[in-house]
Amino acid sequence: MKEQYKIAGMTCAACAVSIESYLKPQDGILEVAVNYPNQSVTIEYDNKIALETIQQKIKEIGYTLILGTSQDTQKAFEELEEKRLASLKSKLVFSAIFSIPIFVMAMFFMGKIPYENWIMMALSLPVLFWSGAEFYTIAWKKLKHFSANMDTLVALSTGIAFLFSVFNTVNPQYFLSKGLMPHVYYESAVIIITLILLGRFLEEKAKSKTSSAIKKLMGLTPKKVMVIRNGEESIINYDEILKGELIILKPGDKVPVDGKVKKGTSFIDESMISGEPIPLEKTKGSKVFAGTINQKGALRIIATKVGNETLLSQIIKLVEQAQSSKPAIQKMADKVAGIFVPIVIGLAILTFALWYFLAPEASLTYALLTPITVLIIACPCALGLATPTALMVGIGKGAEQGILIKDAQSLETAYKIDTLILDKTGTITEGKPQVTNIIWDENIISDTLEKVVLAIESESEHPIAEAIVQHLKASKTPGVTIEAFQSITGLGAEATFENTMYRIGNENLMLQHKINTPHALDQKANALKLEAKTVVYISQQDTVVGIIAVADKIKATTISAIKKLQKIGVNIHMLTGDNEQTAKAIAQQVGIKQFQANVMPAEKGKFVEQLQKQGKVVAMAGDGINDAHALAQADVGIAMGSGTDIAMESAGITLMQSDLKQIVKAVQLSKATMQTIKQNLFWAFIYNLIAIPIAAGILYPFNGFLLNPMIAGAAMSMSSISVLANSLRLKNSVIN
Amino acid sequence: MTIVKYKTNIQCTGCIKSLTPVLNNLDNIDSWKVDLESSNRILEVDLDDNDKETVFNAVKGLGFEIEEIS
Repeated sequence: MKEQYKIAGMTCAACAVSIESYLKPQDGILEVAVNYPNQSVTIEYDNKIALETIQQKIKEIGYTLILGTSQDTQKAFEELEEKRLASLKSKLVFSAIFSIPIFVMAMFFMGKIPYENWIMMALSLPVLFWSGAEFYTIAWKKLKHFSANMDTLVALSTGIAFLFSVFNTVNPQYFLSKGLMPHVYYESAVIIITLILLGRFLEEKAKSKTSSAIKKLMGLTPKKVMVIRNGEESIINYDEILKGELIILKPGDKVPVDGKVKKGTSFIDESMISGEPIPLEKTKGSKVFAGTINQKGALRIIATKVGNETLLSQIIKLVEQAQSSKPAIQKMADKVAGIFVPIVIGLAILTFALWYFLAPEASLTYALLTPITVLIIACPCALGLATPTALMVGIGKGAEQGILIKDAQSLETAYKIDTLILDKTGTITEGKPQVTNIIWDENIISDTLEKVVLAIESESEHPIAEAIVQHLKASKTPGVTIEAFQSITGLGAEATFENTMYRIGNENLMLQHKINTPHALDQKANALKLEAKTVVYISQQDTVVGIIAVADKIKATTISAIKKLQKIGVNIHMLTGDNEQTAKAIAQQVGIKQFQANVMPAEKGKFVEQLQKQGKVVAMAGDGINDAHALAQADVGIAMGSGTDIAMESAGITLMQSDLKQIVKAVQLSKATMQTIKQNLFWAFIYNLIAIPIAAGILYPFNGFLLNPMIAGAAMSMSSISVLANSLRLKNSVIN
Repeated sequence: MTIVKYKTNIQCTGCIKSLTPVLNNLDNIDSWKVDLESSNRILEVDLDDNDKETVFNAVKGLGFEIEEIS
């Protein structure tokens, strides 16, 4: 049996590793793959082990495996996660409220308040044993299985700092009698816990957002649907729709299922599925898809695919898969922590032993003090702060520039991208049809004609007519009254004005009425078609007097942004659901060599995957639901701010201005942030590398120097402050 | 449009459920309903053309008895 289940309670990538390593050797378990970002586990097992046993085993190491059907599971998981987030928040607030007075006392009063140490001890207790309790329980569970993670390090350093402080509070005489000051480190312990809780809280919040993209996708289908059953109209719930059912769609209704039109004519906005900006005309026999929106006109459709079979459901599934297959870079830091913890513990023990057996005098005192100094100084504070602080400043800097970074991993990866995939509609182009050219016959007085065109097109329901109206409205006032208006489905419209017949529509309309087109206009029309523009003909009686070209305009900044990206070595591909001719024309205009037309939503994601398999670091920029899968699959998903919510939630980065130049900025920001992280890590490590041996007393044999634990504590704070300061420097970095 | 009536042995809503996708998918049918109250279980079909055979065959194909009555 191979099944995927949700797991609750994982706090870091190391949790994933430890669940894997704990389950794998169990009898009956063949394969385990834990996915941290998706909070799930795929287990392959045979009948030597029961699922309940696996659940029990997982519980033993502190996590909850959620069993049940997929829908129940999702709900149970969401509830658990919500509870977890709420409890994390209260723990964080609680911890912060108690930590601040401790910090102020330790930093600014230093012994001037009577019973200061006792007060600080009392205030620390709830922080350690309520807010931070999880660190100790997880560390303990890990210890039982001889493993360690970041929690172990936190538990160890804060625990030692606390116990040592308690000892010095209760019994200050011990060290005083040996000529040493009995310092306390309550503030270090509580501040570490507060900061780490803050980091966890921010991370959890970001994680909970990914599932909301899926929820929104699911929300695209209507809750109630009007159907005809046995000749009578009735309103039923969405999940009661059966295959073959006749469904009534009114204007503005969302299509609930994949189906085919039985009766009626209307335009359906399919941009979320196909990316095609112009709503498509649907007549008897046309296919319609779940999640699209009926614009004008009523339709009766027969459900051909319902529930999980619809194209929309397939997209949802793909987005889910893509989100769950993301590699966890965070593993790195935890791997480091996994090595770092035992080394530090080893060093502390070694220090104890060396002092105890080799020191000439007061050996027990030093044997106790030095390992504690080692543990305090090895506190992961600076290491723990190195990445999150830089990321937070980077994310803030991005927000200032209109680049919203949802998951930090995108910011970590963006500077590495070598391939960028651009969706055409709404990303490279504006995403809606606009009039690009109006060409009149030379011998015509166009002024009145434009008014007539405006009057006729105002009556029409066609989306292209709307674009023409928008364009003409900007400059003209409708002052003419037309007569005998008639809309001709699939062709255009006609009307009379001052006893003259005017027709506006496609080439077929002109051919049907044997209207002749002057050579000059015909040539111009052909040229416009080659540019992938839709040409609308305007005739007066039996002659074409003008043409209007409508197209999805390229955004003003697209071309220069593409040039800039190509210059920094990014290979650009364009994908579109549009036809070959349009794709080619647009690609040529913006300077993209690689493009693919007629691409279905699922294919976009697969294309990203293919490139990733070739070892490319792929960024995808798009704005539609049809891009959601690819956005989630890409190493860096970039959503256009003007796009759909689904796109924004599937992507790691959202650009507030729908402008490709922002991608260049995002790459620069990523580079600057990563540089800061590397500098931070360097300083944190160097500091540990130098400070730990000194704390252990390496200098003692040479010049009798022993690091005072208080100075160790101060040095530790300094390293954190230097990391913070370095991160804040990022704020002033120039990104243009 | 022609309205054609058939006498059938369509019994219940379950039968109608199985009939629904078949009749809806027939191109020449505009609308249809079965009168479960009547003793003859009359199926009334609004036909686009005069092709009564398709309806007859479709219903027959599902195992029901069907006979044109007007």
